[in-house]
Amino acid sequence: MRRLPVYILIDTSGSMQGEPIEAVKVGLADMVATLRQDPYALETVCISIITYDRDVKQIVPLTPLEDLQLPEITTPDSGPTHTGAALEMLCQMYSKDVNRGSSEQKGDWMPLLFLLTDGKPSDIQVYNSAIPKVKQLAFTNIVACAAGPKAETEPLKKLTDNVYSLDTMDSSTFRKFFQWISMQVQAGGKSMGITDNIELPQPPAEVNIVI
Amino acid sequence: MAQIIKIKANDGSDVEFYDEMKAQGGMKDVYFSPSKQYVVAFYRKPLKELKASEKDRLQNIVGIYREKIFSTNSDGSYWKNLFAWPEKTVEWNGKIGVVVPFYDKKFFFAGGPFDGKEKNGKWFASAKLRNKFLPADQKGTWLSHIHVCIKIARAMRRLHAAGLAHSDLSYNNVLVDPVSGNACIIDDDGLVVPGKYPPDVVGTPDFIAPEVMETKGLSLDDPKRKLPSRLTDLHALAVLIYMYLLYRHPLRGGKVWDLDPAKDEEMAMGAKALFVEHPTDKTNRVKINDLDKSQLPQGDPSKLPYTICGPYLKPLFDRAFIDGLHNPSARPTAQEWEDALVKTTDLVQPCQNPQCEAHWFVFDNTTKPRCPFCGKEYKGQLPVLNFYYAPSHGRFMSENYRLMVYDKQTLYMWHVNRNIGANEKTSAEDKKPAGDFHFHNGQWILINRRIPDMYEILADGNKKQISVGGFVPLTEGRKILLSAKDGGRLVIVQLVNN
Repeated sequence: MRRLPVYILIDTSGSMQGEPIEAVKVGLADMVATLRQDPYALETVCISIITYDRDVKQIVPLTPLEDLQLPEITTPDSGPTHTGAALEMLCQMYSKDVNRGSSEQKGDWMPLLFLLTDGKPSDIQVYNSAIPKVKQLAFTNIVACAAGPKAETEPLKKLTDNVYSLDTMDSSTFRKFFQWISMQVQAGGKSMGITDNIELPQPPAEVNIVI
Repeated sequence: MAQIIKIKANDGSDVEFYDEMKAQGGMKDVYFSPSKQYVVAFYRKPLKELKASEKDRLQNIVGIYREKIFSTNSDGSYWKNLFAWPEKTVEWNGKIGVVVPFYDKKFFFAGGPFDGKEKNGKWFASAKLRNKFLPADQKGTWLSHIHVCIKIARAMRRLHAAGLAHSDLSYNNVLVDPVSGNACIIDDDGLVVPGKYPPDVVGTPDFIAPEVMETKGLSLDDPKRKLPSRLTDLHALAVLIYMYLLYRHPLRGGKVWDLDPAKDEEMAMGAKALFVEHPTDKTNRVKINDLDKSQLPQGDPSKLPYTICGPYLKPLFDRAFIDGLHNPSARPTAQEWEDALVKTTDLVQPCQNPQCEAHWFVFDNTTKPRCPFCGKEYKGQLPVLNFYYAPSHGRFMSENYRLMVYDKQTLYMWHVNRNIGANEKTSAEDKKPAGDFHFHNGQWILINRRIPDMYEILADGNKKQISVGGFVPLTEGRKILLSAKDGGRLVIVQLVNN
């Protein structure tokens, strides 16, 4: 049976310390709780979470939703944001974890990728060289989210057309953002529009689409 | 506490709701009323962007179509339990909304991990969800799942009889309660009126008809483009029934049509759709290695083939997934499903294994019946009543209809007389038990409770009355005329001994 892998990349650099990271944790916990009450998600969804600051860690390996336990997420006091290294790790994990199937056996659904940052990549060269690798992997959808006033959307637009910006980094904004992610994850089991392939729900009011 | 908004509906009545969005659907935002009698669901699309035909459709759904189904006939109130039908429209903040009755509390989980959530049908249609997540006291029995299917088929039959098509029948749009054997069709505001209001959606994955899937890439004005209709509802209905009785999807087999999962899905549900249990074409058989452990045993059709659903449903599944899969006009109608499901409830036997999760199974017409779900063989005498009717006076013909007897089972008027049906039109009088069956002092008996003209037909051809309150033993070959009235059935008893 096909699984739907969901990769979530979270910026844990120093600037996320305090309210932002606490809000992200609450948002993640809410998201998991919501998805666990959704029969479509419980049947298919697997989640992996990768955090990145100076170090890149896969804090949750690709795990079925029902077995998922959110670990503690910590942030250093300061330091660079290695978004590029995070994408590198994503590519490795994708190759290792996602079942691409064969002519004899069904594989997984193409994964969803959500990337959250409140700044910009410090390792811009690594970042730029990782982008074509990510694009080579098949994703159903890549969503990048620039949170807060210091987040730069330009680098994210190189990764995907779906770039959203959150004006504030308080708990209600993140909560709504993760609720919206939940809806994206659940969309595969919902009615399909007569013209669109997948009818994505609208992002919450606090999210601005960057065009 | 959120503020209470008070407005007038299209019919001039008062509508109240809290100014706090409680739920979001694909197209609507839902607000609760203080009385908890109804909810108000507003379309996110502003009124001024709505096409005249979309508004017109809503007015007709709360107007003439609602009246047609719920008010015109004496059976109108019956349907209120089977549909959460929009009652009126409202306008507020530049948006249009519908007032929909609140779902009955049996359609919400109470307690357990999903406390307060709606009982979306998917919970009950998937082996993994049933085996791994669903609390045991919420699962119902196999017989109660047949009851759920009867309600859904009946509701679709009524919609189609009114000239409407649902267009997006799926487990998301049906709430079910297997504990009580009930179902309720929700989101009825997207209904399609052929030739008048086209559908907004192609459907929900798992339920989209192959011809719709196959042509969804074509432009809307292409004559080859197929859109949801009554005939695609019939595909979705067949898939729903298959899934509620067997907990797997009839078209999700092992065949890989394309390495790209999205293209593979499109072909498997569209142009290449093939029944996993096709009797001769084995291309799309389920591969056990593809299944998660939690999907077993139900996910394996070789362990629990669709034939366990019995002799009335098997030919309908054949028509839906073999003959009619790519030939919509061959699909069984909702009425045919309803009739076959109702008759199947007369073929079930309680499983003698108290641990058996299914509790009931269909008699397999062999001399050694066993429960297909747990494997327990039936021990003891099993009476089978074969029904005959008289098209002309005194000449009885087999009806290909039988009733399996079990202890403390009830005989109903729709068994006694073939002119009486078990449906929304059954009168209160006819719903009263006509008799009951018991295993008493080592023999099976039928006690007549209220039929004034029930007779045993003796070997010499003479009749002997079975008085009200009296009984007749059920022995091999015994003939019982359940009623001498027009339409009254003759029973010939068959005994299976183990």
